[in-house]
Amino acid sequence: MSEKPQPERVLYCAVCSLPAEYCEFGADFEACKPWILQNAPELYPDLVREANKKNVDKVSNKLESVGISSSRNNAKLTAEASSAGASEPKQEVKRLPGGKIKKKLKQEVVIEKIVRNKRKCVTVVKGLDLFGVKLSDASKKLGKKFATGASVVKGPTDKEQIDVQGDIFYDIVEFITNTWPDVPGNAIYFIEDGRKVVAV
Amino acid sequence: MFRKFSSDDVSAQNQVKASVQRKIRQSIADEYPGLELVLEDLLPKKSPLIVVKCQNHLNLVVVNNLPLFFNIRDGPYMPTLRLLHQYPNVMKKFQVDRGAIKFVLAGANIMCPGLTSPGGALDEQVLEEKPVAIMAEGKQHALAIGFTKLSAKNIKAINKGIGVDNMHYLNDGLWKMQKLE
Ligand SMILES: [Zn+2]
Repeated sequence: MSEKPQPERVLYCAVCSLPAEYCEFGADFEACKPWILQNAPELYPDLVREANKKNVDKVSNKLESVGISSSRNNAKLTAEASSAGASEPKQEVKRLPGGKIKKKLKQEVVIEKIVRNKRKCVTVVKGLDLFGVKLSDASKKLGKKFATGASVVKGPTDKEQIDVQGDIFYDIVEFITNTWPDVPGNAIYFIEDGRKVVAV
Repeated sequence: MFRKFSSDDVSAQNQVKASVQRKIRQSIADEYPGLELVLEDLLPKKSPLIVVKCQNHLNLVVVNNLPLFFNIRDGPYMPTLRLLHQYPNVMKKFQVDRGAIKFVLAGANIMCPGLTSPGGALDEQVLEEKPVAIMAEGKQHALAIGFTKLSAKNIKAINKGIGVDNMHYLNDGLWKMQKLE
């Protein structure tokens, strides 16, 4: 027996979570490629060669698209480009018919209940910040009001949301409208069975 | 085993008594002598050791919310892949050829020909019903934890059908469960 072995550090892909050398067998190798080129190019020499070849085309493409975007109102486009593009359009499609299709960055609060472990659940509150409410403040108030844990966390699209432990689904609307009069009751939505419904 | 595994499959979790903790440590040390010196770091005597019981007689050994080992009924403890990646030399190794990788990563058991082909490799000392690390041709890190159905010698001699059961593989439910609350 020798001395105490030191733990090895394996480079895991930030996209698919596998050791980088297995990205090519992951669910979506394409999605991993930009990360690989940045972090583990030595594992995929072919990829690097391919990328270098493409680079020439890419640069010209990029120039073109910059040209296009600056011709429209560019503030909005940059905002769109930086937020995870995938989730935004999905919400747009999901909107129920009713003629009330509004702008993408709609001022609204969305409340969703997420059940874990069958018994435990978390109530997720998104969008309070759009009404000028400070999330850290709100999370403290929610935790206090419902005598539970509440925290500000980054949601899937990198937007901050508040997670409140426990099911506070039906008391929360009143509390929000009372505490923050700037938030109108009709801007609060529940997500029930994957459908978005007005809370009041 | 862990194809669709999630925290919903947990049926009970208990902090075990010191005597049980000792027993678990001992059987891990017996199975993996290479881990003996780091066992105090992995399963500190002072930190609570949680045994999480799941469906299908599966138990997970969890310390500080990290799943480190699993076993079935009273079977041998096997490290999770994340742990094995840190201490790759504590298990005996088999290697599958490149063609088998995608099947192993889909949860398939390991067929003898994938181990005996030119891209494969066997550790002759491995007997039947033993845990092994499953490596892959051209890759540095393990992609699965297996439990042999046949000894290495018989895998070579019989060379058909399933040689090793695939217990745990990259991207299965246990892999995705990095932390257990
Ligand atoms: Zn990847």
